[in-house]
Amino acid sequence: MKYILPVCLFAIILIISAFATKQDEINFVIPDGWPKPVYDFSKNKLTVDGFKLGRKLFFDPILSRDGSTSCASCHTQWSGFTHVDHSLSHGINGLKGKRNSLTLFNLAWNTSFMWDGGVNNLEVQPLSPITNPVEMDNTLENIVRKLDTSQAYRARFFLAFGDSTVTGQRILKAIAQFTVMFESFNSRYDKYIRNEPGGEMNQQEVHGLKLFRKNCESCHNEPLFTNNSFQNTGLPIDTELNDMGRQHITNDFHDSMKFKVPSLRNVANSYPYMHDGRFRTLMEVLDHYTDGVVQSPSLAKELRKPMRLKLDDKKDIIAFLQTLTDKEFLFDMRFRDYRE
Amino acid sequence: MIKRLCILFLILHAIVAWPHRCFCQVEHLGNIAVFRTSDTDKVVFDISPEFNGQPLILGSQFYVDEHGDTLYIDALRFYLTNISFTGYDNALNTNSFLYDAADSDTHSFVIKKIPGGNYSILQFTVGVDSIANTSGANDGDLDPVHGMYWAWNSGYIMARLEGRASVCRTLHHAFEFHIGGYKHPFNTARVVALRLPPTFAIGKRGIPVISLKVDVSAFFTQNLDLAKVNNIVTPGREASSMADKYAKMFSIETVDYLSCKK
Repeated sequence: MKYILPVCLFAIILIISAFATKQDEINFVIPDGWPKPVYDFSKNKLTVDGFKLGRKLFFDPILSRDGSTSCASCHTQWSGFTHVDHSLSHGINGLKGKRNSLTLFNLAWNTSFMWDGGVNNLEVQPLSPITNPVEMDNTLENIVRKLDTSQAYRARFFLAFGDSTVTGQRILKAIAQFTVMFESFNSRYDKYIRNEPGGEMNQQEVHGLKLFRKNCESCHNEPLFTNNSFQNTGLPIDTELNDMGRQHITNDFHDSMKFKVPSLRNVANSYPYMHDGRFRTLMEVLDHYTDGVVQSPSLAKELRKPMRLKLDDKKDIIAFLQTLTDKEFLFDMRFRDYRE
Repeated sequence: MIKRLCILFLILHAIVAWPHRCFCQVEHLGNIAVFRTSDTDKVVFDISPEFNGQPLILGSQFYVDEHGDTLYIDALRFYLTNISFTGYDNALNTNSFLYDAADSDTHSFVIKKIPGGNYSILQFTVGVDSIANTSGANDGDLDPVHGMYWAWNSGYIMARLEGRASVCRTLHHAFEFHIGGYKHPFNTARVVALRLPPTFAIGKRGIPVISLKVDVSAFFTQNLDLAKVNNIVTPGREASSMADKYAKMFSIETVDYLSCKK
């Protein structure tokens, strides 16, 4: 009988602590009207500690061979997690890659990753920059070894996974827990669609949306502003880079010069544009679609006839595209580097 | 009274059960040291690589292939997955095992929870099925940390053979076969079925130890000309036909049984 009081107290403490941690839970949101996410959350349960570990890894240059380059080096938050103002991203030793870094958000809906779609799952995506000789030039094995010697990291693996063992799988799952939370669905456009305050669009923007739906929607379809397909947009080939895009993965000449259709959310902040960052402004991109498309067998069928847009139309489309900037996401404090 | 009966029963039971109990606890086989031979649901695999009858020694031993070229082998790794036993009874183990000729810890492995019974066919996949190839970051032997995963074109390297031959006009005369790809029509996972000895049984005569012979010369059959074909490192037709060839490198050499030495 004399144990009842302590046992009760203990139980109460347990219940309270359970509630306390519950408040801290990390919630992935599927906005109304959006499709079902592609990412399988059942195999990687999101937790605060997993998210925090992923965040630490994302900002830590320990992932690169010489400790110089982190994921965040080429993916900065305010640009939609791309390498703003860099046509081609550079990694270790200042070496340049051959492509413009992609934006990172709404990744749970991606059916593939990278400009050529070579990566098939969010969790294994980091392997590409980690091992690329011009990005981080490292191996997962090496990173496991390094993190394993760090007391601070081992403690975080303990919190996130229940024991302090560092494995390749856990590194990748933790990074995925962080990056999958990059969700952008609160731009002015979204609020306009949801009829919410802050969602006011002026006449020019509404006209831009109308033109966008007519000319761009077949590939950049709402609400994700990409249909996840690969298209040749008729860019003249850069004979120095000679990047054949999707063909490199499929070995199929029908895929020559096809690249992934990127989402246009936050596009005003993510310049320069196209897979090799050749255009600095959205106007240049639209000029390409009206006047610059090069005909070739793999050209997207929607672009075979040149797009007809007057200068004012282009300005309206750009005004609309600017409503896709989601400041709540771009300045979300959860995605900052906390040097934890 | 009931208490006494219970004690008596326990004593009797212990006496009756004694001769059937195995108390030899640990058996050694290669580097697998710890298991009880009283466990009856286990099968041990012991993998021994060779090149056309000669034992495989990495780096220093030369071999001659079908085409007549002299070569050295520097690395051999492959996945064995979905090991199953069929016949009178049926059993499947869905774990994945990575064999690495350079890592003696991988030369033998134990599979567990195989129900006792009589089996006539051993079947396994050389490589990794498409589900594991698309399900993100996996653990254990499938952890991408083992260097058997392609970063730029997601998917596992099912088997990997590297070496040198003077006929190869490549850097350091090296040849490299990293065979992978899970997409139709160039899926490189291969199912291998081998006939077990007629007396093969699990859980009856002790733990079966299956010595699996792996003849690496299979990579070089159909008169492979190393001077021309010495670098297959992407999925495709070449990789797929190489997988067809090395799927034939397996054979069961012997089956022994580990049992109590009373």
